[in-house]
Amino acid sequence: MDKSSSKKLAPAIIGVWRWGSAIGYLFLLGLPVIYYSIFGMQNIHFWLLIAISLVVMALWITAVFIVPPISWTRWRYSINENEIDLLRGIIVRKETLIPLSRVQHVDTRQGPLLRWFNLSSVTISTAATTHEIPGLDDVIADKVRKEISMYARLAEEDV
Amino acid sequence: MYDFQRQHPIAAISRAFTMIRGNLITIIVFLFIGAQSESFSFLLMIGGGFLLLMISGVLDWWRFLFKVEEGEMHIKRGIFVRKNIYLTKDRVQVIDISSGVIQRLFGLVKIDIQTAGSTSRAAIIEAVPLETAKEIKQKLSRNGNGQAEDEQAKTDSNRVNVYGLPNKDLLIAASTSGRFGIALSVLGTLFSQIEPVIRESNLFEYLFSLLPSQTDTFMIITIIVMFVSVAWLISFFSTLFMYGDFSLEINDDEMIISRGILEKKRITVPYKRIQALFVTEGIIRQPLGYCSVHIHSAGYGDEQGSGAIVLFPLIKRDKVESLIEKVVPHYDVSLPGITPPKRALRRYIFRSAAILTVVTAVLYWIFSLTNWIWLIPILSVWWGWLKYKDAAIGWDDANVVISNRKLAKNIAIVKRDRIQDVSVSASWIQRFRNLCSTDVHVASGDHGSSFSIDDIEESDGERYLNAINSKLLVERQLPTMKASEPVILPGW
Repeated sequence: MDKSSSKKLAPAIIGVWRWGSAIGYLFLLGLPVIYYSIFGMQNIHFWLLIAISLVVMALWITAVFIVPPISWTRWRYSINENEIDLLRGIIVRKETLIPLSRVQHVDTRQGPLLRWFNLSSVTISTAATTHEIPGLDDVIADKVRKEISMYARLAEEDV
Repeated sequence: MYDFQRQHPIAAISRAFTMIRGNLITIIVFLFIGAQSESFSFLLMIGGGFLLLMISGVLDWWRFLFKVEEGEMHIKRGIFVRKNIYLTKDRVQVIDISSGVIQRLFGLVKIDIQTAGSTSRAAIIEAVPLETAKEIKQKLSRNGNGQAEDEQAKTDSNRVNVYGLPNKDLLIAASTSGRFGIALSVLGTLFSQIEPVIRESNLFEYLFSLLPSQTDTFMIITIIVMFVSVAWLISFFSTLFMYGDFSLEINDDEMIISRGILEKKRITVPYKRIQALFVTEGIIRQPLGYCSVHIHSAGYGDEQGSGAIVLFPLIKRDKVESLIEKVVPHYDVSLPGITPPKRALRRYIFRSAAILTVVTAVLYWIFSLTNWIWLIPILSVWWGWLKYKDAAIGWDDANVVISNRKLAKNIAIVKRDRIQDVSVSASWIQRFRNLCSTDVHVASGDHGSSFSIDDIEESDGERYLNAINSKLLVERQLPTMKASEPVILPGW
C-alpha cells in the first residue's frame, strides 16, 4: 500500500476497542470464581487458583491495554477512484484490495460504544464479501461512504 | 401474460413435499423415537402434522401470484406477511428449470430464477406448464423482446453444439463420486438412530450365526465393510440419477445444462454471468486421469448455497482444454505459474500432518492400538507434499489462475474483472520466513467463493497485489466529474 495516501483510523477507536474488550472479556475474570466454587481453596487448589487468576488477569490486561493501541497503529486504509485498500492485523497482516466497480453497497453503522465516542464504522459489501473500516469520525465516515458510493455508481457492470 | 397468474394446483402438494424433504432427517429421527412409544396419539400427531403441511401448501399456492411485465418478474406471495418480489431481467443470473417426480407426473416444471444474493430464493415457482416456463424464460432472457416465437426460432438456428456424457463416463463418474463421504455420514446418523431397534430384533445375532468365524475383530470389519459398500451404493445411484441424461447445449450467448433422471434439471447460464471456472481432480479420479469442470455463478446454484454449477461432470484430463475452448473459449487460458519456494514445503507438511499426528499419538497411547495406525501420519505427510506440489498461481492482464489442493486438486480460472476482492496476508511466522498467503473472492451463491494459495514468496505476493492494482488503474476511465470536484479526505 502506498503509505503517503493511506489513512489511519480515528485514534478514539482505541477507546472503543478498550471498552469493548473490557466488557467482552469480563467472562474471563469469572473463571477463577467458577474454579473456586468447584474446587475450593485447599492445598494445591490454592496455588492453582492463584496461577489461573494471574493468567486470566494477564490476558485481560493484554486485551484491554496492549492490543487496541497496536491494532490502531497497524490499521491503514486508502480509497481512490479505482479501489479500496485495507491493511490491518497484528499477528496476521492482511492487505485487501476491493475494486470499486465491485462494491454493491456501503453502510455506516454506529453501536452504542461508537456513538459514545462520536465514531461510525463503514461497511463495504461486494457480491461475495463484506469488509469493515471499524472506526472513523462521524463526519469522515459519512464522507467516505458518499465517496465510495459515488465511485461505485460510476461503474456500469453488475456483479 | 400481463395479468397475475396462479401456479398449477399441484404446486400445493409439491411445496408440502419440499418442506418434508427439507426436514427429512428431523422427521426420520422423530419417527424412530415415536415408533418406540407405539401410542395412538403419536399417529394422531403424524396425521395432524401432515394435514397442517397440506393446508399450508394450499394456502401458499392460493396466495402465490406471478406475472412478467416488461422484462420484470413480479411475484406476490406469503400467507400472513405479503411479499412482493421484483426480478428485473438485467439482474437475472441463472434460470433453472427442473421437474421432480411430482411435477413430471403432471407434465409440469419448476422454475427457479436466480439473481445475485439470497433474497431470490423466495422466487421459486413450484409448478407451471412447460409452455409458461418457456415463455417466462424468453421474456426474462437478456435480449428477449417478449416475442416468444421469434426468439424461439432464433435460438434454434443459433444452436451451435450439444455435448452429452457417454454412458461409460457416467458409470465412472458415479462410481468415483465424492458423494461417498456424505452418504457415509448420513448413514452413520441414521444408524445411531435405528441401532436400538436392530439390537432388540437380534438382527446381528442372526447375521453372525450365519457366518463361520465370530471373533470381535471379524465382526467390526464386517460392519465396516457393510457400511462402506452401502454408502458407496447410495453415492453410486444418487450420482447416476443426478447426472444421468446429461447434456450441455451451447448457444450464442448462453449455455443450457440439463441433467437428471428422476428429477430433471435445466439450467440456463448466460456467458456473461459466469464468475469463475474451476477444474476438480478428485482423489479417486486423479489416478484414473479424470476430472470434472464447474463454473461459479452469482445465483445460488445448489441447495448448499454455494453457487457452483457442474459444467461437465466427468471428462478425461487431457480433453478438458479442448472442451473449455469449445464451450467457454474466453476461459481457455494457461499461464506459467509461480509456485511456493522450497522452504515452504516444511510448512505445508506441518499444516497437514501436525494435528493428525498428535491425535494419532494420543489415541495410540490411550487405546494401545495396532502399529498400523501410524500409516495415518505418514499419509498426511504425503498429503502435505501433494498440496505443496499442486500449489501454483499465475496472472496476466485478464486472468488469474490458481491451482491448489484440499483433498481434490482444483484449478481455478478467474477473470480479473470478476474479482470481488483480493487479499494478501502474512502471519507472524510467515513474515519471519518471507512468505505470504493470498486469496481471491468471486461472487458465488450467498457468500461468494474464494480461491487461495499458501506460502508463496513474499515478493511474489507483493507483485501479485500490485499487478491487480495497476490493472484496475488502466481499465477504468476516470470520471470527468472527479476532476472538477475532488473529494479530499482529511488524514490523521
